[in-house]
Amino acid sequence: MKTWSLLAVAASAGLVASVALAEPRRDAILADLREQAKKEDPRFAGFSAERGATLYRATHQGKDGPISCSTCHGSTPLGNGQTRLGKAIDPMAVSKNPARYTDSANVEKWFKRNCTEVLGRGCTATEKGDFITFMSGQ
Amino acid sequence: MPQDAPPIQLASGEPSPAGAARTVKVWDVPTRLFHWSLVALVATGALTGLFTPEWWMGVHVWAGYGMVGLITFRIVWGVFGPEYSRVVSFVYPPRSTLEHMRGLLMLRPPHYVGHNPTGALMVFALAGVLIALVTTGLLALGGEEKQGPLALVVGYSLGSGAKRVHHALTQLLLLMSMLHVAGVVTESVLTGDNLVRAIVTGWKTLPPEAPHPTPRPARPWAAAALTAALAGCAALGIGWVARQPPPHGLRAVPRNATYDKECGTCHDAHAPSLLPAASWAGIMLGLQDHFGEDASLPPETTQALAVWLVGSAAETFDTEAANRFRTVAPASPHRITATPYWVRKHAEIAPAVFKRERIKSRVNCSGCHRDASSGRFDDQAITIPEG
Ligand code: HEC
Ligand code: HEC
Ligand code: HEC
Repeated sequence: MKTWSLLAVAASAGLVASVALAEPRRDAILADLREQAKKEDPRFAGFSAERGATLYRATHQGKDGPISCSTCHGSTPLGNGQTRLGKAIDPMAVSKNPARYTDSANVEKWFKRNCTEVLGRGCTATEKGDFITFMSGQ
Repeated sequence: MPQDAPPIQLASGEPSPAGAARTVKVWDVPTRLFHWSLVALVATGALTGLFTPEWWMGVHVWAGYGMVGLITFRIVWGVFGPEYSRVVSFVYPPRSTLEHMRGLLMLRPPHYVGHNPTGALMVFALAGVLIALVTTGLLALGGEEKQGPLALVVGYSLGSGAKRVHHALTQLLLLMSMLHVAGVVTESVLTGDNLVRAIVTGWKTLPPEAPHPTPRPARPWAAAALTAALAGCAALGIGWVARQPPPHGLRAVPRNATYDKECGTCHDAHAPSLLPAASWAGIMLGLQDHFGEDASLPPETTQALAVWLVGSAAETFDTEAANRFRTVAPASPHRITATPYWVRKHAEIAPAVFKRERIKSRVNCSGCHRDASSGRFDDQAITIPEG
């Protein structure tokens, strides 16, 4: 009995660790962003999931009316989103969609498009890192 | 006339007020069933062809197949059926026809047990128009919609010509059906012989002076053998057609994972057959400002997708959509939704419908067309979601 539960604990710990560690590509993207953020802002002191959450929900004036990241990605990152043209978007939360934020060219492409769309400018490295950090914890 | 022809069937227990009126069985059960099934199918075909929304096209097509079956049966029964159903029994020399018409004009047409000569003319005309109608229907279905037994062998232009003839024949058939009914009523009034009751019950009343008919019986076994032979020929024909190499209009849209990923995230990845090559080239050259959005891609991806799109453009397909969308609007050549055909086909859909939750935008073709990704856009695959 005891050995079984020990084994189970060990196995689930291993599983959690492997999920967290499984994404060296996401870690590399975050590491790159951290380097950039330090260059952009000397006072940079790490990414914040809280700031990421704020970025996700904040509404701005877009060219066709109010818009936020959640307009397309859904009120919660755990659920599906939908583009304004009716196409479904998979959840943004890493727990729901482990393939998220693993292809740096794809991540950059969409940050460029969507930040311009929502904020009217490109996102800073800090904003990008905050966003991914927020999503990784979801 | 065979010697062993059975005596005329007389209805038993029929009241005969004059004492001389006799009744005779003119239309047997198969012929009556044929007549009323045909009425039902023509009505279904007319309703689904003229009035109902496009997604009833499946019912329309099945009404057409039903007519092919009925016409085939009637031709067989016209050879081996009972006396008055046989075609030879109502082929009259022109002299009798003229005489009957003259009689009609003088309101005293001569009496006939089966079809009278003027009615027979209408029967042949109706049969001819019906045969032409199902033939042009099958050609249009195969050529334009790329469906049905002729999908593999008929091109779009033949199909669309056939469709125009099909429409004209529909008007003609409706006109002739009305004339046919008018003729039946006139004849019934003038001869006192209720023709409508005859095609319901099968029995007709003979006037006292009419000669005693000696009808030939049906030959059901011969009819069954001929039907089997015809069905065999049809199966062989369809089998041959099915072995023909598919024309380019039917080739499946090749899937392209890069296209689905890069052009299928903001909206559906539109089938490349929906715009001509020049439009795709123009779209790919302007991705930085793509209808007001930034859809730019790395140059090598843009290049590869452009080559693929141009190579699978509308000019290389023979579907109805590909043929129609080759004509773009000069003012916005990059939009499918601006082409004259698209505008015409969707003119009756209220703008609010496109805003529904499961549609969101007119660009979201798959919101209403279940087969959008294939580029076919069959009538039967249209559903407008309610919410
Ligand atoms: C106009 C609709 C729209 C808005 C608004 C929008 N996005 Fe997106 N976003 C998309 C689409 C479409 C995709 C690609 C679909 C997918 O990856 O499933 C995407 C993908 C992304 C990706 C790439 C995810 C990955 O898997 O690598 C990131 C990052 C992203 N968006 C961030 C943002 C941020 C930050 C905002 C707000 C500033 C935002 N988006 C607002 C439509 C939008
Ligand atoms: C960033 C989002 C986005 C991406 C990525 C994108 N499009 Fe579009 N596309 C749009 C928008 C927005 C419209 C205009 C929709 C409207 O008018 O409602 C549009 C419209 C179109 C239309 C015209 C639709 C019509 O009105 O008939 C075509 C064709 C098209 N896109 C092709 C492409 C191709 C090819 C690609 C890939 C290279 C692509 N799109 C990628 C956003 C995108
Ligand atoms: C709101 C739902 C809706 C949307 C979205 C929509 N369609 Fe349609 N479409 C229809 C309906 C309904 C018809 C039938 C119209 C009629 O009765 O003639 C139709 C007809 C058509 C036809 C003609 C089919 C035929 O054989 O007669 C084509 C082709 C077509 N649509 C293409 C498109 C394309 C391409 C798009 C996307 C750019 C699109 N549609 C978007 C509802 C829609």
